[in-house]
Amino acid sequence: MTEELLVVRAQLGERAALAELVRVWHVPVWTYVRRMLDAARADDVTQEVWLAVVRGLPRLREPGRFAPWLFTIARRAVADRLREEYGEAERTSDGEPVMDDPVEAATDRAALVTALSGLPVLEREILVLFYLEDLSLEDCAQICRVPLGTVKSRLSRARRLLRDHLTERGFQP
Amino acid sequence: MNDEPRVSAEEMIGRLPLSPWARIRAAVALTAGLAGAVFMGALLITEPGPLPGGTRLAFALFTVLCLAWASYGGWVMTHRAPLFATDRVIAAWLALTASAVTTAVVTTIAVQRGAGPVLPLATGGVLVAVSAVLAVRAHVRRATLLRRKRELSGE
Repeated sequence: MTEELLVVRAQLGERAALAELVRVWHVPVWTYVRRMLDAARADDVTQEVWLAVVRGLPRLREPGRFAPWLFTIARRAVADRLREEYGEAERTSDGEPVMDDPVEAATDRAALVTALSGLPVLEREILVLFYLEDLSLEDCAQICRVPLGTVKSRLSRARRLLRDHLTERGFQP
Repeated sequence: MNDEPRVSAEEMIGRLPLSPWARIRAAVALTAGLAGAVFMGALLITEPGPLPGGTRLAFALFTVLCLAWASYGGWVMTHRAPLFATDRVIAAWLALTASAVTTAVVTTIAVQRGAGPVLPLATGGVLVAVSAVLAVRAHVRRATLLRRKRELSGE
């Protein structure tokens, strides 16, 4: 069954489809929230995300674009918890080119996840969305509400920070 | 770093308002509460003679009770368990039925008490019209989703 079909059935009010949506997306949503927040808050915020999803699902106009919509809600819930830190970090800079990243090839997923926790919020977020959630650059731009160029520059900066972070920990690019 | 959610997907499903009955109950509370408030208001307005203080207080309490149920139903539908497409069709027909019945009863009472049918018919007409618009929109939305469901499932 396609994801869009599942979403359409859920929008019709089929309980089984709603439950299946939660089963499919619970871990990805939690993973995103957990990378952005500490463990104590991750479960609470994940539940807030799901309540908001259930509230908003009847109004979702593009069932085929469920994933970006879902992570937009998750991002908002995380941002609410991080508001003070987040406001400080909202500065962006456009125009930085995306470069090939040796870190990508040199580190495994577990090391990446551990190193992520040391990055600033925006850089951590873009890496989680792009690498851990496998979302496209366009979806990341929609979720983060920034232009595509900003996503690219943010991703580039995040990879550079991550590379520095991993180098400090003894990994070789 | 703990990489497993402490709340499983099944537990999360249990915590969410996914039951259609909760949504329908909210729609019934909203509809019945509004219909009851209109009915009590009509009784009070068309009362031919002055009412004793206790009776007026009872009318007021019943009206407040009806409005409280309507507010509760509205709150549940907007904050907790929103109506999905099929629920909206059911809720719209509930509203249409309640509007028509309330209009008929209130108009009958008004005529029997010599108050004239114009005001209750006009008020009821607005309620019925709004309910009918909601019913049409709900059917259109549900039909759109059902058509998309058929396309996607290849039926």
